[in-house]
Amino acid sequence: MTRAWRGAALAAIVVVLVVGLTPYLWMFATSFKTRLDTLSDVPIWTFQPTLEHYPEVFLDKEYLPLLWNSVAIALGTTLLSLFVGVPAAYVFARYQFRAKEDLFFFFLTTRMAPSISIVVPMYLLFNYFGLIDTKFAVVLAHTTFNLSLVVWMMRGFFADIPVEIDEAAQLDGHSRAGAFARVLLPLAGPGIAATAVLCFILSWNEFLYVFILASFESRTLTVGIPGLVTPHGTLWGQVAAVAVVATLPILIFAALVQKHLVRGLTFGAVKG
Amino acid sequence: MKKPKSIGAALATAVWDRGVGVAFLVPGLILLTVILVGPFMTTIGLSFTDLSYALPDRDGNFVGFDNYRRLMRDDPVFWQSVITTLQFVAVAVAVEFVLGFAVALLLSAHIRRRRVVLTLFLVPMMLAPVAVGLIWKLMLQGDFGMLTHYLRTVGLLGEQTAVFSDPDLALAAVILIDIWQWTPFVTLVMLAGLLSLPREPYEAAIMDGAGRFRIFRDITVPLLRPVIALVLLLRGIDAFKEFDKIYILTGGGPGTATELLSVYTWRVNFRDWDLGYGAVCAFMVYLVVLILSAACHTAMTYARGASGNEGRRG
Amino acid sequence: MIDDRCRYSVLVASLLAGVMLLACSRSPETENKPPETANQPAQPGPAPAPAPKVWSLASAAAPYRGVALRTIGESLPPLEAMAKLTEKFEKSTGIEVTIEMYEHSEAVNKVMLDLNSRRGRYDFILQPHRELGRFVTNKHVLPLDRFMNDAKLRDPSFKPGEQLYQKQWKEISWYDGNVYGFPFTALTMYLWYRVDLLEDPQERAGFAAKYGREMAVPTTWQQYSDLAAWFYRPDKKFYGTAIQGKRHEALWYEWLNVLYSFGGDMLDIETGSECGPVVVNSPEAIEALEYYKGLMKYSPPDTRNYFWDDLMALMQQGKVFQVLMWNDATYAVEDAKQSKVAGKLGFAVTPQGKGGKVGQVEGWTYLIPAYSKHPEAAYLFIQWMMAFEQQLEQHLNGGASSRPDVYADPKVSEISYSQASMDTMAVARPKPTIPESPQLTEILVRELSIALAGKKTPKQALDTAAREMSQLLGSCAPLKYPVQ
Repeated sequence: MTRAWRGAALAAIVVVLVVGLTPYLWMFATSFKTRLDTLSDVPIWTFQPTLEHYPEVFLDKEYLPLLWNSVAIALGTTLLSLFVGVPAAYVFARYQFRAKEDLFFFFLTTRMAPSISIVVPMYLLFNYFGLIDTKFAVVLAHTTFNLSLVVWMMRGFFADIPVEIDEAAQLDGHSRAGAFARVLLPLAGPGIAATAVLCFILSWNEFLYVFILASFESRTLTVGIPGLVTPHGTLWGQVAAVAVVATLPILIFAALVQKHLVRGLTFGAVKG
Repeated sequence: MKKPKSIGAALATAVWDRGVGVAFLVPGLILLTVILVGPFMTTIGLSFTDLSYALPDRDGNFVGFDNYRRLMRDDPVFWQSVITTLQFVAVAVAVEFVLGFAVALLLSAHIRRRRVVLTLFLVPMMLAPVAVGLIWKLMLQGDFGMLTHYLRTVGLLGEQTAVFSDPDLALAAVILIDIWQWTPFVTLVMLAGLLSLPREPYEAAIMDGAGRFRIFRDITVPLLRPVIALVLLLRGIDAFKEFDKIYILTGGGPGTATELLSVYTWRVNFRDWDLGYGAVCAFMVYLVVLILSAACHTAMTYARGASGNEGRRG
Repeated sequence: MIDDRCRYSVLVASLLAGVMLLACSRSPETENKPPETANQPAQPGPAPAPAPKVWSLASAAAPYRGVALRTIGESLPPLEAMAKLTEKFEKSTGIEVTIEMYEHSEAVNKVMLDLNSRRGRYDFILQPHRELGRFVTNKHVLPLDRFMNDAKLRDPSFKPGEQLYQKQWKEISWYDGNVYGFPFTALTMYLWYRVDLLEDPQERAGFAAKYGREMAVPTTWQQYSDLAAWFYRPDKKFYGTAIQGKRHEALWYEWLNVLYSFGGDMLDIETGSECGPVVVNSPEAIEALEYYKGLMKYSPPDTRNYFWDDLMALMQQGKVFQVLMWNDATYAVEDAKQSKVAGKLGFAVTPQGKGGKVGQVEGWTYLIPAYSKHPEAAYLFIQWMMAFEQQLEQHLNGGASSRPDVYADPKVSEISYSQASMDTMAVARPKPTIPESPQLTEILVRELSIALAGKKTPKQALDTAAREMSQLLGSCAPLKYPVQ
């Protein structure tokens, strides 16, 4: 490999990184700019930062509860999806049965289901059961895609564990369920953690289901943002402040599970 | 309980095992059936009714195939949005693929501290689509947008043009934004694919004195074929469903320049409240996704085989 | 074994769920029992208590003490002002009021979903009046007469028949001869222009030299576009005007001003609750759209992406000479804390054309859903909000009252834009409020936006709109002008 090639490659990577990150950093900076600086004709790169937007939107406009809603809903769907999905994934990894691949495909389609096609009947359904306006309705809606994510990801993680371990555990006198709970689950721990984080992210970022199914009190941050576009001018500082709070935790989480991201996003078909 | 001692006990264990399997699987199936298959069937059911929340006396009476007929015969806006969607998906996915693959090749060949670079590189893709929409709205705003300013300075954008005001530029812009957001995904997956390739064919090729391009064309691409197919399909499905960003950025305008199928479906359902006809549109979107998913499933099965994941142990 | 069982369970369960959902999606429609009866038992007081001689809010509200009302509206200053006032109401009645504030179209969506699910989440609602037809014909809202005629509820000092602008009230809150509410805000659009520039001697001299007449507040569309052309200085980032060209309701509202004053209309009707021939592609309408499109050349480059929000920001920063904007937004451009041009603005009725002096009126109205859990308490609150003191307070904080006595108050009459607002209200034209009208708006907005984008000529766009509107409305709305 010549030095010149290497230099060109490095330069290309740097360009890609700059293009990829500048918009986000710009938004980040905007959350600390005064309205005048934001609306300036010539972009302003250095400025006297202001902290006014954060308390304005989170305290005065009472957006803080939206943050808790985001957390509660994302945690709820993550727990539900894991609780139901991990055992199912185990069955897919260890049992042989005839319609296995068909069922597996069924799980895949649920992950793909376009929310715009489902949200109206889902509203009717939840309305029928009196769930509309509750956080639980959104949790259930988010479970449609998260459950299959869990099944697809965890199947791979269980498949990675040698069958011999199951057999050894059963020889030790564990029942099948016991072996699953006491031996396999701890071994799959890191995988479960990675899956959980991905579920959390997907739910946190979701827009349409919350938009339609959640009430004023159970809205999440992503849905709260459009509310800051008022007839009296978009409050860019506040929009940016909400966007920063709505994205920073996710970026940190994503960095944590980066190793498993590929597997999660390709449904276990490709490993990182 | 110790080792099974008799045939009876072994049988009992086997039955018990099966029971465990069923018990593990069924809750998930029931849950998905109720919250997903049910609504899907309802969509199909609704598509044969005239249900409207806006107009009186349209309480969900059965109307046969009227809605489908309307879709086929007199809804030019729907078909226009189909064309727009196809343009959006084709261009966005193609560019994402080429760019993303290129970056993956660069990363795999030249960069040592890959993890750090990759982590930064993945930022756009982890952001909520709503946030992405707002970030770019801010960047491309016609009066004070940062990018607008620099594009005008270097003459790429006319002084009297603004991106989201121009019907042709608007579609190009939303495509570019999608590319910005999702190229990292292609890179991520392709990089994983590249790193899992076996060494032997390369060593053999180098022994034969093959050039770099020939190695790429004759070894890398064929080996990666399943992963490539998978990436294209996954991106295709997601791009086809795109809604959040467009909703925030343009709402489908100017004119119908950026009205994707999903946005049109939204409009029929939540602006016109024509839920019967809206169900037909929704069903069409779902149908395309189902077909693509089937293709995707096939690709996955191959991809798993290719990168040797299935059956690999430990 | 297991595979078969699974397969069947999927099949059976999905079928069951589907059938059940279909059933539930329809059942609320078919049940559709008259909601009035459902609400009757809420009437308290088993014995026919004699009506008190002197009506007081406290005693009228006594049966509802402890009730919590919930409402929803657009997150705007008038609603914020109302939120502040509720405390006073709570203190004197013990009735709590919770307000949900949403962005415009979200506030409309949430209400549509709530009304159609018949849950009665909201005890009263605030909605734009173009939605009224939908609500009334689907029996989603209660006529107010039964509250207004109830001696226990009616505040004798509140006489809407005398104290409100009658035309406005009829336009905003009546449908088909029945009253369903009171105006929350009576909105209209008029001209905002920069007085300081209009009076600048240098500008005046230059303008007179070029156009052969003195610069003045525009009263005709020709004068309007001349001024726009004169002040169009893109090199200095200053523009003659700006139009709300985004694919958004704002575009429709703004164009209506031009349409009406050019002598055109959407439907050939007398009142909003009628259906009539489609005239949106009349020669006048085409001319209006051509003219409107022509204003783009004096507007900022991003004008096809603007709605009210952007126009406000531009005006506040002093980048535009004149625009057509909303009365309820005016206070923000006259607020020195937010605006560089506060005190430098003039306001007047929209320029006129063949159609004479006209304005378009849009209102948000109080309504009581048929599923409201506390309709009487809600009525008491609405009635209280309509009283002079509250109306004044709300009006001074960015509201737009429909009480003439509010405008007569010295605190209001000294506001720079009060006169323009009242003048426009006086010539306001009704617009369709039939159930289909939001859909008519959608069609028009789309076609207007396409015409502005240059993908269709104004005639093609309006012909398309006319054809679709006529199709949607059916036999009551034939095309009056041929389409290609």
